[in-house]
Amino acid sequence: MQSRWDIGEPEAPTINKETEQLKSELLTLNMGPQHPATHGVLRIEIWTDSEIVAHAIPHLGYLHRCMEKHSENMDYRGVIPYVDRLDYLAAMNMEWGYVMAVEKMLGTEVPRRAELLRIVTAELQRIASHLMAFGTYAIDLGAFSPFLYAFDMREKILRIFEEVSGARLLYNYIWIGGLWNDYTDDQITRVSAFCDEMLVEAQKYHELLSMNKIFIERTANVGVFSLQDCFDYGATGPILRGSGYKWDLRKNKPYSLYSEFDFDVPVGTGEIGQPGDCWNRYIVRMREVVESVKIIRQAIAKLEPGSVMGKVPKIIKLPKGEVYVRSECPRGELGIHLVSQGESKVPYRLKVKSPCFTHVSMLPRVAPGQMIADFVATVGSIDIVLGEVDR
Amino acid sequence: MSTATTESVREYFADMINGVVTTLKGMWITSKYVWGVTPVSIEYPEVREVLPERSRMRLFNDVQNCISCTQCAMACPVDCIYIASEKMPEGSEIKKTSNGQPIRLLLTQFVIDTALCCYCGLCTTVCPTECLTHSHDYEFSQYTIDGMKYDYLAPDVIAWRDRIVKT
Amino acid sequence: MHNELVDLINKNVPGASATLNAAPDAKSDSTISVDANSIFKVVQFLRDNTTMPFNALQCISGVDYLDYMEVCYVLGHFDVNAPRDLILKVKVTDRVNGNLDSVVSVYPAANFQEREVFDMFGIRFNNHPDLRRILCPDDWQGWPLRKDYVAQKYYADMEVYPDGKMNFEDREFIVRQDMIKKAQLAAAKN
Repeated sequence: MQSRWDIGEPEAPTINKETEQLKSELLTLNMGPQHPATHGVLRIEIWTDSEIVAHAIPHLGYLHRCMEKHSENMDYRGVIPYVDRLDYLAAMNMEWGYVMAVEKMLGTEVPRRAELLRIVTAELQRIASHLMAFGTYAIDLGAFSPFLYAFDMREKILRIFEEVSGARLLYNYIWIGGLWNDYTDDQITRVSAFCDEMLVEAQKYHELLSMNKIFIERTANVGVFSLQDCFDYGATGPILRGSGYKWDLRKNKPYSLYSEFDFDVPVGTGEIGQPGDCWNRYIVRMREVVESVKIIRQAIAKLEPGSVMGKVPKIIKLPKGEVYVRSECPRGELGIHLVSQGESKVPYRLKVKSPCFTHVSMLPRVAPGQMIADFVATVGSIDIVLGEVDR
Repeated sequence: MSTATTESVREYFADMINGVVTTLKGMWITSKYVWGVTPVSIEYPEVREVLPERSRMRLFNDVQNCISCTQCAMACPVDCIYIASEKMPEGSEIKKTSNGQPIRLLLTQFVIDTALCCYCGLCTTVCPTECLTHSHDYEFSQYTIDGMKYDYLAPDVIAWRDRIVKT
Repeated sequence: MHNELVDLINKNVPGASATLNAAPDAKSDSTISVDANSIFKVVQFLRDNTTMPFNALQCISGVDYLDYMEVCYVLGHFDVNAPRDLILKVKVTDRVNGNLDSVVSVYPAANFQEREVFDMFGIRFNNHPDLRRILCPDDWQGWPLRKDYVAQKYYADMEVYPDGKMNFEDREFIVRQDMIKKAQLAAAKN
């Protein structure tokens, strides 16, 4: 049967010589839109030969909310609640990406305290997002209790965010020019207390799941993204790092104040399995949690009292021009392409390059030749959030 | 028996033992939670969580302080605030809001469609008299979607306000 | 960096006629415009050259300027020593049959991105392996992100903007108030 996905020559399904004659026609199977392993409403049309996937075709758009069109009719501040709803598990990072683009065109100087608090907030959000990835990935593979541990810790972060910003999930907290509210001293103390607790917990997670033999059997050497594939498909974030390439925007092209911070970029080394497989992607996330804790501690040590809001005109009008601003989100690099025509209160065009969108396009590349159960593990390991894919 | 077979047999059993050991380790961690851990869930209607001060729940407008400036309606990203006002009838005294701003317009309509509201809080930050605020009232489910429309000029607003301010 | 790139492209790709759109200040990014017919060759050259290679395509974004449409290819070089970004632009003037050469065979990342541009702007990509709508349903009409887009009234026997879900009462109240005000003003003038 002719494949609709001829790019990159997908490998033929591995079929034994003896069973070749038993081969019958391919079976079409719909994974989703309501499937627990797709973390949202993603439909993947799989063509299977018995248990082996021959082709996988993702069908997107079930959560399409025309966010880009909406934002063309809204003033620059009004877009922030919409940007929140892209990646609802890491809303702070999304806000920051958008806000950075506007600030760059506006030429606003953000106060130092605000930048440091943004880093604290974004790294807390990164931990929360990675915990969610950890918990749901375990559920995908049939382990239920890690999910409860992850949500226990995530809840603590959400409580802090609720006190600081007023909302639990969709914050509208990072504003153009600074932050809405300041952290109180009490909240800062709670963040540091959380950091101490998180390090102990992270160790526990490794014993609980990472080194579990069953988990390793399910994930090691499964769904391998080679480094060349990652570059070809423009993969970023934990996917690229899991394939063994040391690339992190915070380190290599530092934005905000990240150049002042001392932290490592964990990469998949292949100590178990091989670089680029599901286990290595998973372990990169778990190690990033520890690095984020490091960054938060340093940021808190640097904090000085001061204002958290820079000087921003009451009605924001951007000069004519365009920017492409990248920032490192938990799932990869977020790119905001913002075009302004000048003398207008609304963006002329706002394009969001979401990391998950590119990662979904890699699925047809790795799927051929996998077992269906392994394919579920692969989909789970790219930590997909459909709000961001469909926008 | 050849060495290759011995090796593979040894690996087979080593794998098995490894699997059992790592699983037991995980179960040991979880089993610690059987005793001595108090439940974290609360028994909702009887016990209620105290919301943080900055929590953003249902919007509330104190119409006595509203100067009909319509800034909130313009800031709203989902256009869920409907305000209409007209000129004060001549000869009436000009009242002042709690922070001293004169009320020059007569508010004739202040409706918020809570079904559309996204609780972003942008409207409350632009309000010059701080009359539009997020209350801590989060229990307002309705039978119809029209019930989600709140008219803040309705006669029972005072009673309603008491209920909101209490929480 | 941009100046060198423009020279490099013009020297090596005949007919590309690359021009630099320099940003006036640090508030916006400089971009490079190339001829629409040579986009495939330019992208291929940018990936394969040795002086200033770009190893990844980050995104393809379309912008509608009403008299023409623009497609921006955002290329990136993921290299620890020399990270760089480039916005490469081509103009599409034909609003009905606008088409470009697909770059999927250069960067497979372009597959979904080009489908999105096709979905939102209606620009067709020649030699694309699977050019279907990606975010909108397959039988949706119109190109949503164009500035002159008007949504269709019915989709599969469903109303697209159902009146029952709009709050007309309160909107009409405001409109009525405005009319009363205007009438009062007119009466005062007379």
